[in-house]
Amino acid sequence: MTEPLHPVTGLDDVVHQRVRLGILTIAHEARRVEFVYLRTQLGLTAGNLSQHLTVLETAGLVEVEKGYEGKRGRTWITLTAAGNTALAEEIARLKQLIARVERP
Amino acid sequence: MTSDTVPAAGDPRRLLADVRGLARKVRLTQRVTWLPLLTLALVTFGAIPANMLGEPVTRDCYSVEGGEICKIWEPAADLYWLVALVVAYVVIARVYLRVARERGVDARVLPYVLTGVGFSVLMFALIGVGAGVWFVRDAADLLNPSTSIEVLFRLLTPVGGIGLALLVLAWLERNVALLLFTLGYLAVILVPIDFGWGVHWGGHLQGVTSLVIVGGVLLLGSGGFALAQRLRRTP
Repeated sequence: MTEPLHPVTGLDDVVHQRVRLGILTIAHEARRVEFVYLRTQLGLTAGNLSQHLTVLETAGLVEVEKGYEGKRGRTWITLTAAGNTALAEEIARLKQLIARVERP
Repeated sequence: MTSDTVPAAGDPRRLLADVRGLARKVRLTQRVTWLPLLTLALVTFGAIPANMLGEPVTRDCYSVEGGEICKIWEPAADLYWLVALVVAYVVIARVYLRVARERGVDARVLPYVLTGVGFSVLMFALIGVGAGVWFVRDAADLLNPSTSIEVLFRLLTPVGGIGLALLVLAWLERNVALLLFTLGYLAVILVPIDFGWGVHWGGHLQGVTSLVIVGGVLLLGSGGFALAQRLRRTP
């Protein structure tokens, strides 16, 4: 019988990153989240957040929608179905890792 | 937050704690708990004139052992509750979403609104068909209903429906404070807690007393949640 793979081997580098995990978490909980709210909650500059969003958008995990409300431009971020799955898998693997580390 | 990839086995506990912390912050941002409580308090107070002015209509009466059973319908009050609650839930949905979006997030208010509207329509239909007799084995039991039937009948009212829908909102928002408030609110309706006011007044005035108490509880709850939200937002 083969030894089950260590949970680390299943981690997705796109998601297993503190800021991007934060973006996915907030977008999951909020359903749709505005760029400025993300920037404030994650304590990032606009440029830094944009870079992370580009990585997630390229991977098909979020959708970015730009629009106007009155004269005010607003950018909304929505989690895709793939993003939802990736977030759930990342959290499951983190729990597996913790369980493995704590196992005597 | 840093932008480094997290060491694989080093920080999973901290990452999970971050995830939970962020989820909690979003839920706090989404909450506009004072809004449904205030709106429904106004709807409840608005029911007072409808309750006082309308006259009950009895129909399909028949004799049973020990008395007579009739279907009772209060057109003014029953129609008021149906229209006012449906309008109130639509207003709540629109304003709730508007406030949440102004804060930069969306809100999970739709299941709450659908529950509220669904329950309001169901109540109206049950009253319309005189469904009280469906809940007892023998129609004569309605003359001296058991405690459980009395509690059920108090729950199957517009104000009971408000409480059931608030339970859904508390669950959607993982809002323990709202859950505790709603349990207290339901206790006021189901026990019922009326401080003995109006017990001997009879007729419409007795109904008015309970509406004043229920509306007052909702209004106080709205004020409490608004104050708590203001204090939380003040640095």
